[in-house]
This record gives sequence, C-alpha cells and structure tokens, in this order.
Amino acid sequence: MNLLCVGGSFKTMPIELREKLAFDGPKLPAALNELASRYGCESAIVSTCNRVEIYVARAGAPTAPDAELIAEFIAQFHDVRYDQIRASMYTRTNDAAAAHLFRVTSSLDSLIVGEGQIAGQVKKAYEAAHVAGSAGVVLHALFQQALAVAKRVRTQTGISHGHVSVSSVAVDYVRQVHHHFGDKTILVIGAGKMGVLTLKHLRELKPERILVANRSPEKAQAVAQECGGTAIAWEQLDDALVEADIVLSTTGAPEPIMPRRRFDAILARRSRGTMVILDIAVPRDFDPRIHDGDRACLFNVDDLKRIQEQTIQERQQHIQPAEAIIEQEVKRFLNDWRRKKNGPIIAQLTQEFERERQRIVTELFAKMNGKLSEEEKKHIEGAFKLLQNRFLHGPISVLAEDTPEPTQHNLLDALRKLFRLER
Amino acid sequence: MLTFPQKITVMCFAASYGVAFSLELWHLLRPRPILRYVALGISGAGLFAHIAYLTVQDLPLGSPSGALLFVAFILAVFYVGEAIHHGRIAWGLFVLPLVLGLIGLGVLVHNPNPAASWQSYWGVTHGALLLLAAVGVSIGFIASVMYLVQLRRLQAKLPPGQGLSLFSLERLEQMNRRAILWAFPLLTAGLLSGFALQIYNDVLLADWFNPRILSVIGLWLVFAILLYLRYRVHVRGRQMAWWTMIAFVILVIALVFPHPFDGGAMP
Repeated sequence: MNLLCVGGSFKTMPIELREKLAFDGPKLPAALNELASRYGCESAIVSTCNRVEIYVARAGAPTAPDAELIAEFIAQFHDVRYDQIRASMYTRTNDAAAAHLFRVTSSLDSLIVGEGQIAGQVKKAYEAAHVAGSAGVVLHALFQQALAVAKRVRTQTGISHGHVSVSSVAVDYVRQVHHHFGDKTILVIGAGKMGVLTLKHLRELKPERILVANRSPEKAQAVAQECGGTAIAWEQLDDALVEADIVLSTTGAPEPIMPRRRFDAILARRSRGTMVILDIAVPRDFDPRIHDGDRACLFNVDDLKRIQEQTIQERQQHIQPAEAIIEQEVKRFLNDWRRKKNGPIIAQLTQEFERERQRIVTELFAKMNGKLSEEEKKHIEGAFKLLQNRFLHGPISVLAEDTPEPTQHNLLDALRKLFRLER
Repeated sequence: MLTFPQKITVMCFAASYGVAFSLELWHLLRPRPILRYVALGISGAGLFAHIAYLTVQDLPLGSPSGALLFVAFILAVFYVGEAIHHGRIAWGLFVLPLVLGLIGLGVLVHNPNPAASWQSYWGVTHGALLLLAAVGVSIGFIASVMYLVQLRRLQAKLPPGQGLSLFSLERLEQMNRRAILWAFPLLTAGLLSGFALQIYNDVLLADWFNPRILSVIGLWLVFAILLYLRYRVHVRGRQMAWWTMIAFVILVIALVFPHPFDGGAMP
C-alpha cells in the first residue's frame, strides 16, 4: 500500500515548534493540494495542538513517497529550516504507520490517555482530505478503519471512563446526587479563578438560579453579572445555604468559613434534598466532618484531584487490552487490503484457468464421443479440476502471504507476465 | 404425552435468570456491552418460559407459590424493560437476585393441592390488588437498595463512572416515592376488599392471628408511617430507604404464608 507517516508530537517536539508547524485554517487544504501536485500521492494531515502528522500513500506504485521529502515539505511550507525540525520528526511506514494512526485515534498516544477529543480531530482531518480530494483508496480505508478501531477501543475497554479535569469531576459528582437541575439553586461563595471555571461547567446544567455571596458586594455583583446570577449580601449566607442544592465555595479566607456547628444549624432548617458542596478553596472553607453522603456531600480540591489521578491510573490498566485490539485490527486491515488489492488478479487468474480447463475437457469429450460413461466423464472432469486447483494453489498462497511491498509488487508483475493476464 | 409448554419447569426460567445474573456480574468485572445484550436475550427467553409455566401450570395466584412466582415474573419484566430503556444502569445486579430469591421461596412453599380461593368477586379483587401492591413494594425495595449503594459510594467518595452504574440519589428517591405512592392505595384497597371477602365468607374477624393477615396489616402500617415521615416530617433519603426495605420484608412474610382461604387457618 506504500503508506508513510511523517510527523512530530508532544513527545518529540516542543510546543513552540508545534505551533509553527500547525496546519490550521486555509493552510490545510493548501498543503493537501501541494502534496498531491508535488508527489502525486494520496495525503491527509492530522494537525492538533499536540501533534502534526502527514499521512501519504501511493496505492499502485512500487515505492512510497520519500520520508525526507515529506519532512522537507513540512519545513518549507511553514518557512522553518529543515535542520531545525529534523531531529524531532518521526517516520512510520506501512503496517507501522497504520498501527500508529490507530493508536493516535484511540487516544493511546495522547498526553492524557483516553481523552475523547482526538478521535474527532482525526475525523476532521479525514473529512478535510476527503473534501480536498486528496484521500484515495488507501487513506479512505485507513482512516475509516482508524475511527472504527477507536470506537471499539472506547467501548470494549475502560480507557475513556471517568473525567480527568477537576471541574468535570466536580460536575460528575453533582450528577450522582441530582437528576433534575431546572429546580435547583447553585450558591457560589467567593470568586476564585478555579471557581469560575467550575461554575462554567455547572451552568451547563441549566439550574433554576445562581446566587453569589462574597464579602465584597462589588465582587459578588461582578461574578453574578458574569454568570447570570443574583448577588446576595454576605450576611445572608446561612439563609442561602438553607435554599441551596449545589454549593461552590472558592473564597480566599484563611480560616474555614463554615464550621460544623454552624452547618448543623443550617441543616436543621433545610427541607430540601442532599446538598452537594464543592469546596475548591485552599485553605478549605467547609469543615470536612460535615460530609455524610446523605444530607451533605462535601468534595474538596484534594478529593477531586484524587479522583482525577485515580481516573488516569485506572486508564493505564486498559492500555494493554487496547494495544491488543490495535494489533488485531492492524492485521485485519492489512489482510483486507491485500485481499482488496490482489482480489482482481486472483479472480482473473482463476477465471482464465477455468475457461481453459472447460475448453480442454469439452474437446476431449467430443473426441471420445460415445466411448465414455457418465461416471468416467465425472472422474476425468474431477481430475482436471484437481490439477487446476493444485496448480493455482502455489501462486495464490504466495500472493496472500505477508511479503514486503516491493517484492509483492514484483510478484504481481511476474504473475501477469507469466500467465499473460491483462492489466 | 406432554406438550412443549407443559415440559417447562421452574428450573428453566430460574436458570435463565441465573445465567443472566452471572453475565451481569461478569460485565461489572470486565465491561463488555455484548454481555449485557446476551443477558437481556437470555432473560427474554426466561420470561417466555416463565409466562408459559404460569399459564400452563394454572397456579392459583392466591397461593403463596403462585403469588411469589407472579411477582417474580413482573419484576423480571421490569428488569427487561428498564435494561432496554436505561441500558447504562446495572439493573440486573439488583433485580435478578430478587427475582431468583422470590422464585426460590415460591418453590420452597409450593403446595401441590391449593384450595381455590379466588372464585368470588371479592376474592379476585383482594388478590389482584395485593399482588399489584406487592409489585410496587418490590420496586420500591429495588430503588431503596440502589439508593443505599449509591449513598455508600458517595460517602466513600468513590470515583463517579467507575464500577457500578446507578441513577442519581434524587432519581432513586423519586423512583422509591412513586413506588410507594402506587402501592399504598392498592394495599389499602386490598386490605378493605379482604374485609369484604371475610364478610362474604361470613367469617369477619374470625382469625386475627393468621400470619398473613397480620403481616398485611403490618405492611399497611409501615406504609402509613412511611408516608407520614415523607410528607409530614419531611424525612428523606436513607431513612425512607430503610423503611421501604422493612416494608418489603413484611411483604415477603405475607406472601410466604398461605391465605386463610387457601389451606390457612380458616375453613
């Protein structure tokens, strides 16, 4: 298939270089067109913030495009000196290139293993190649299979289970407690940076109202305005806690603002369900002893980070089964490809022999007219068929074998010449 | 000669549910969607065998064995329905052990010669209402067990999305509340029709100490307490779950003992 992958990722390339080599916006179709016109090959470019990779293929040719040339093209296209990028580029060919794309798409080669974005980015790269007309028979098959493999890895292993950002983990916890959010009140205490990010995620739950409490009324007003909430006076904090279903606390207070006794008094006044408290302030705002999982679920920064680390660790356990799937899928891809490529010639060869055998047998039966019984005819026909199958078995098996690309190409040529098959 | 449905035994559907439960356990340890689909398929086959058995054997639903097998059947239907609608949730792990337990009890208390107790209008009404209430109580029990497991996960601050997949506390509480609200009127009506049945048989208040009658009255009282706690005292969550579980235990006691008109204390 003469497949080649040339590129660099966060593992081999610093971010400054990755930024320079990004194929974003109009650069992508331009580069795809340029590759096709310069090297006459199929091409697709995967360009994300963590990697820049060019996949090229030449289905019918004896060799793949030269890796050095493709790397030089990348440098030239971005006005970067080639020697500046040479050491950080890697090259993969044929089955190794297919395996690499499968690993990338399945997020095994990502900065955070199992992250869900990369499959979408590979899909976009494929669509861009499709639109530009630079994806041919090899890259169509390769990218389609890569996306299917990523889906299989995602569903058959736990590689993408759980969330890995603190704010997503916080929202996951909220979802374990509450189901409907249209009747829920979110109370934001303080105005920490981390809190703003988490609040952004919480707002996506579309709560009934957001209350903002801050020691500084101006700050409370500013945060409330930003998130479409209502600012309340700091003195109303306890009343707001009685009404709140989800609390996001991010003050910079040096001491906990909510000791257990004060919180117990608030709980006694509550008639609402479980309160989820996301205490992401350091030092902590709420006394950790108030967590009982029933009336109040308290999660602080350490809890959320612990989950984040556990999730990442948990995902590591799924790498091996995911790699096994990829190995299996690469084999399947190569076999499918070989079958697809050699299928027509095998069919042609078999048809040719079949026609010749039938002609010879018919002529023989005509010459022996009347002298052969039906059973003898069957025996003769069977013997010729057996001879044909035995004769074809060798060449067909050799074609199905896993031979390197130039040898495979020579074999096909030889077969065509030896058996006078038309192209 | 026996026809195919007549050859179906309790073992056929119990084994199907047992295999489905094993597959659910396997899925918990090594998540594979195919395991869920196979479990669902096998449970479907079990349901078919179950309904065929109930139809062909013509078990009186007023008998302990008939009632237990019928409730088990409804719960198996509930499992299949929920597993289709909310495939993410580990229904099998909670519903199937209950189904298997009820079937096991049904076999244990089987009476080969039950008296026909459902012949009068009041008999049919009483039995049907209590069976429907039993389904509600059982679903409330499942929701309560799930609630307590989810609560335990939250108390231990286990990572969300790993291990068992369950509904949120709010949703489980809602499910429990709905089951109670469904069961209570049926139970009340069932109890009243039981008195009507006694009047019909001219034995009103003749046997107050029959365990079945006592447990049904006990069940009604627990439900009354449950509703009082929920709507008057605004007790929620964990306590509600425990009360529902107590109600379920009383229900099982009520179902296990024979009906007064089915070989029980009354003539």
